[in-house]
Amino acid sequence: MSIRAFLVAAVLAATIPDIAAAQDRARGEQLAAGRCTACHGENGRSQLEGIPSLAGQQPLFMVTQMILMREGIRQVPAMVPFVDRIADKDVEDLAAYYASLAAGPAEDRSPRDAALAARGEAQMATRHCTVCHLPTLQGREQIPRITGQREEFLAHTLAAYRDGSRVGADPQMNDAVRGMPDADIAALAHYLAHRD
Amino acid sequence: MKFPRLILGLLAACVAAPALAQPAPAVPGWAVGRPDGSTLAPHAPRLTVTPLEQVPVGQVRLPAGFHAEVYAHGMPGARMMTEGPGGTIFVGTRAIGRVYAVSKNADGTTRTRVIAQGLTQPNGVVMVGTSLYVFAVNRVLRYDNIEQHLDAVPAPVELTSAYGLPTVEEHGGNHHWKFTILGPDGRIYTNVGAPCNVCEFDRNRFALLVSFKTDGSDRRVEARGIRNSVGMAHHPVTRALWATTNARDWAGDDWPQDTLHHIRRPGQDIGFPFCSTGQSDPQFNAGRNCADFARAEAELGNHTAALGMRFYTGTMFPESYRNAIFIARHGSWNRNRLVAYDVVVARTDANGNTVGGVEEFMTGFRNDAEQKFSDRPTDVHMLRDGSMLVSGEQTGALYRITYRR
Repeated sequence: MSIRAFLVAAVLAATIPDIAAAQDRARGEQLAAGRCTACHGENGRSQLEGIPSLAGQQPLFMVTQMILMREGIRQVPAMVPFVDRIADKDVEDLAAYYASLAAGPAEDRSPRDAALAARGEAQMATRHCTVCHLPTLQGREQIPRITGQREEFLAHTLAAYRDGSRVGADPQMNDAVRGMPDADIAALAHYLAHRD
Repeated sequence: MKFPRLILGLLAACVAAPALAQPAPAVPGWAVGRPDGSTLAPHAPRLTVTPLEQVPVGQVRLPAGFHAEVYAHGMPGARMMTEGPGGTIFVGTRAIGRVYAVSKNADGTTRTRVIAQGLTQPNGVVMVGTSLYVFAVNRVLRYDNIEQHLDAVPAPVELTSAYGLPTVEEHGGNHHWKFTILGPDGRIYTNVGAPCNVCEFDRNRFALLVSFKTDGSDRRVEARGIRNSVGMAHHPVTRALWATTNARDWAGDDWPQDTLHHIRRPGQDIGFPFCSTGQSDPQFNAGRNCADFARAEAELGNHTAALGMRFYTGTMFPESYRNAIFIARHGSWNRNRLVAYDVVVARTDANGNTVGGVEEFMTGFRNDAEQKFSDRPTDVHMLRDGSMLVSGEQTGALYRITYRR
């Protein structure tokens, strides 16, 4: 970038930050088209088992996860072709785009089982979920939203943290779900998937 | 202050009750003892490149005559520093798992390269001769003749089992990253942090400073009861070991303080978890007399996260800074109002005693009105010309501090 172009960009960014942010989202939408949307859904709500919804997710959480996948620290074989050597700017724009979409349940969500949901809600207190994810469960910064997510993906993720096959930016989630029985994981995932 | 202490006391009574046969409910290690309703949590690291124009060097405030410039940038998560004989600065990280190398170009500009990646929190970096030692969790790697191989780094020598440091699991996911230095006796010194915010634990395995021969043999405990030290250095005159340590969380905004310690004899006990800042822990004192433990040489503020420290032995800075300790204070999260996000200085004399109090040196990253911060000083490193590097983890930049009369 030339000095002049840089100065123009810097002035624009400094004076009209909303437009700069909108451009990032628009660029993220272009990057997502055909690549991310095939699995994560046209509106960021996944229709595929085992694939997470990204709509309304915390942007810094998504940035952190994509970087950890790019660096080989979080290992998701299916994501390797998409994150291999991905530029930081692309990561940030994709996150800005998906964060701007409205979170919501998967279309194929199973009916709510009141007894299972109650058992899951009890786990919320035991496991102190709101310590990090906040009482709204929308998360913040590097901590993800855990509503508007697919039930089986939530269960898979909790088990992966429990078993140590997944780490985050730090090991807090591994600590939080240490020794959690499968039945409790299933109940918590059911409760979260049905809490809108 | 009083209210949370009372709550903690009640919690301690509950924990001590024998009726609690069930395992304690899981809670993130950093949140043990957390009062209900608090929304404090660790700050997020930034793992993407911060463009040069966003590195907040213009906000830096220094004493008269000192000047700050950006030495290198574009290294997300840049933390601890060590320097090779050829002048290359090696920089460790935590979450992003990389080790960077910063070399000088002929025109005085710098070039940064990633020389290792995919490691678990490779925070500890130390040069021994021409070999770079990288301490990740639990992984110890030696890169021989590293400065000759910056573009194509050969496979390192594995020293992990020789050092035998505790794993992430044994640490319960807490305080497992390393700060590593080479002592004047040719041994490698590092920390083994506490496996929790505050708890009962094996005091022969955790909350230690330890040293090893460089091959990982002959482990020796240098200090114990030191919760998590992420900064240490040997006094340039007395050769004694000094260290910073991070005190416990969730005991109120104004207690305890992070501290600076002068290790006067090998194995000296600092007192964690029984005591902090010379006072009884509200939950884990276990009837111990705090006067039995070594007192801090200086107090470094509540929850300031005092990390990397080095003595100043150069001649560029004024004479009053000779043998002074520069300490990077990463900045608080476990406090309602932000503190630190700066570099402070503690002066010592040739006998190894502190002189005067702890002074602010490099400030300007903390915005009190908006309760925001623009960078987090994490380590300091003295260059051979007497200038000083400061790593900023939040922006991935190295700042260089110079002095002109």
